[in-house]
Amino acid sequence: MNNAYAAFAARRLVQALVVILLAYVFTFVVVSILPGDPITNVLRDPQNGFSEDEIRQIIAAQGLDQPVLVQLWTSLTRFLTGDFGLSMRSSRPVGTLIAEVLPSTLILASSGFAVALVLATGIAYGTQLVPKRYGQGLLRGFPSLFLSVPNFVIGLVLIHLFGFQLGLFRVIAPNSFWATVFAAIALGIPVSAQIAEVLIANLDHERAQDYAAVARSRGLGPFRLFARHLLKPSSLPVVTIIALTLGELLGGSLITETVFGRTGIGSLVQRSVSTQDLPVLQAVVSLAAVVFVLVNLLADLVYPLLDPRVKLVGAASRRPTTADDGASQAVTP
Amino acid sequence: MASPNRLIATPRRDDIEAPSLQPATPLLRVDALSVSYGRQQVVSDVSFALSRGQSLALIGESGSGKSTIARAVLRLLPNGGHATGRITFDGRDVLELSERRFRPLRGRAIGFVPQDPGNALNPVRSIGAQAMEAAALLDEPDDRVRKQRILETFAQVGLDHPQRVCDSYPHQLSGGMLQRVLIGLAVLPRPALLVADEPTSALDVTIQKRILDLLTRLQSELDISLLLITHDLAIAAERADALVVLKDGVIQEAGRTAAIFASPRSAYARELQADVPALNPDRYRALRDPGFRRREAGATAKIEVRAVTKTFAVDGRTLTAVDNVSFAVPAGTTHALVGESGSGKTTTIRLLLGLETPDSGTISVAGEQLSGRSPATLRAAWRHLQLIYQNPFTSLDPTWTVEKLVREPLDRFGIGTRKARNAQVRQSLADVGLGEHLLARKPGALSGGQRQRVAIARALVLRPDVIVLDEPTSALDVTVQADIVEVLLSLQANLGLTYVFVSHDLALVRQLAHTVSVMHRGRIVEHGSVGEIFDHPQQPYTRSLLASIPSGTTGRVSPSRPRAVVTADAPG
Repeated sequence: MNNAYAAFAARRLVQALVVILLAYVFTFVVVSILPGDPITNVLRDPQNGFSEDEIRQIIAAQGLDQPVLVQLWTSLTRFLTGDFGLSMRSSRPVGTLIAEVLPSTLILASSGFAVALVLATGIAYGTQLVPKRYGQGLLRGFPSLFLSVPNFVIGLVLIHLFGFQLGLFRVIAPNSFWATVFAAIALGIPVSAQIAEVLIANLDHERAQDYAAVARSRGLGPFRLFARHLLKPSSLPVVTIIALTLGELLGGSLITETVFGRTGIGSLVQRSVSTQDLPVLQAVVSLAAVVFVLVNLLADLVYPLLDPRVKLVGAASRRPTTADDGASQAVTP
Repeated sequence: MASPNRLIATPRRDDIEAPSLQPATPLLRVDALSVSYGRQQVVSDVSFALSRGQSLALIGESGSGKSTIARAVLRLLPNGGHATGRITFDGRDVLELSERRFRPLRGRAIGFVPQDPGNALNPVRSIGAQAMEAAALLDEPDDRVRKQRILETFAQVGLDHPQRVCDSYPHQLSGGMLQRVLIGLAVLPRPALLVADEPTSALDVTIQKRILDLLTRLQSELDISLLLITHDLAIAAERADALVVLKDGVIQEAGRTAAIFASPRSAYARELQADVPALNPDRYRALRDPGFRRREAGATAKIEVRAVTKTFAVDGRTLTAVDNVSFAVPAGTTHALVGESGSGKTTTIRLLLGLETPDSGTISVAGEQLSGRSPATLRAAWRHLQLIYQNPFTSLDPTWTVEKLVREPLDRFGIGTRKARNAQVRQSLADVGLGEHLLARKPGALSGGQRQRVAIARALVLRPDVIVLDEPTSALDVTVQADIVEVLLSLQANLGLTYVFVSHDLALVRQLAHTVSVMHRGRIVEHGSVGEIFDHPQQPYTRSLLASIPSGTTGRVSPSRPRAVVTADAPG
């Protein structure tokens, strides 16, 4: 586009970075004020058999005897260089632990998102194109049905039906293609409901606008009206909704992983919470914040490209100088 | 024009080109049309006929069913609307045709110009993309020729840079330009009938005149029949050959325009005619002037605005919204600020109300200077300076009762005891002619006229000296407007109020105001008494504004003939 857009994008990018840093600091503070001191708990566990001297040495080596602000600074600089520290349970780098399980979660989340998008658009566009007497009302009922069933229930039903009864996938091989497909369906259905609700409401709203009637007065049939006039304006707010449902997708994938017995971020978080493995939790929360901020940044950056009405702050007016009907105001440069 | 070959190839055009074959058959005939939404009938048993090349106006106020009839003709009724009766267009029964058989008529044979140009084009598609939809209705396979026809049509409707307009999005154009685009798109496929639903009600008065002239010109150039829907009797009188006057979905009167105007037979048509300001410039003279003459001579200025300038920074440029504006209003009189959108009249009253601070200049009310005062003293000044906002449908909190709405200013300023406040609320309502049975009602249960009376009562309850009226009737029907004007004038006569009246409706200004300032691009270009400004305008801008008032002179206007300025001897 132009300079205004570049300036807008740069500003948004800086804002996103600030949000990520603040999120990191926030989780650090929350973790450090949590009751109980998991680090000394672990070290003092008689099974580990450290002497008091050794404990002091380890604490000094980890920098845990420093003031909180110094610890925060060390932790933050490490985070910025991609070093998440060592897991307290396994003593392996947190980065490696996450890298091992991330691909599985990414595959699940992205295929769950694809399912959600296909379902949502299918349902929403169906409500516009399917006539009332062929079950439009039924389609309109789907989103609330999807929202009211928890996704672990959907998961269990799918496992029972397609895993055990129909034998389409083997429950003991949770990363196989078909198992992944059904996990993605279980994950995508509740997410699709939110997108579909917004899309249907937007389509109904746009259809009731004057310009839709005026377009019909130019002889447009229902399909052309939908494709040329309703599709784009109704999709715009969905960009924002998609960015917001990402949280749903992340949270949902943790549950879905448990139900389907997949290893992924979900199982890692579950293990780390039960063992108070703070470096892992801190890293996962920070990563989630990064992903969330980036997706919303993307949505913000895409929006002005899709909607010509969105006025970028500071952008020059692009109103053409065609001789107006005499209603313009006096402008002095 | 089309070549003979194309005429043979397309029989539809053939019968349009040969009206003489069946001179007696009207192009559009509506017989016993009734339209209902669910159980509510909004149009009852309406019949009329429109011949080729003629124009017919459907007139009525909101809720009269005029727009519903237009939508029924186009078969674009909103969901739940059901039409019965017969609509015959060009020999075909419109209501009997299946949607698939009717669709080819839309655009090609029946064009539609909608009411609000700001909402009638898809905001996220360029004008050009939407124009191509209209061009697709031409029997023309070549995209480049279609594009050319679009540009030609845009030039024909008076858009100076057609290509640039094509590349623009709707929000980049002014209302007047958008309405030209919409008219262009409607006439591009050369329809036999053009349905125009209040084509100018969202536009400034000079633009309104240009748009109406354009419609009239295109109608005769292209031999199009025009079905004009309007609430403005003066426009209808000027532009239509025949009138159908509607009220609550029922025809009150129908016939040739000149005949109806010369002697309206129905009581409603007579009332409508009496209430249109443009037709009755001196209607309220008796109510308006006695007080004025008495006060004008000796009275000191209640409001004095001296050399006030206000600029805004927009997109890095400086926009002078109000440029060295001065005026004075004697106590007990009405001063009108008139001008089109963007003329600075709204900024001027915002400055007067203290909602903006002027860059330079002084404003004093009742001898006290307002600028440079502390917020506390300003608050005290506001007690004597009240605003009545233009749209009573949005200016009143819908969850509050009338009593709470009217009492709120008293509570805010902590005036009197609870009992005294209640008495004052009742007094204010009585002043504007509202009964106490309305006290417990919410705005939703009131008519538009009642709501504006509540807004006036709310302003009156503090016993102010000055009331700023910001287009107080622009959202109201003409009969309701007449009612509100009467309330305002009798309040002025009884309480000696000073009004600052902001309006783009010059005919209304003439009825209501004593003195006038004409604003254009932030400056006052001319000021004086109503008589001076309206009867002997000095500035060309004032003259063009006055010439734009529909005069209500019957018979179609030829746009090339310059129209006379409205004078006191206009019919009415």
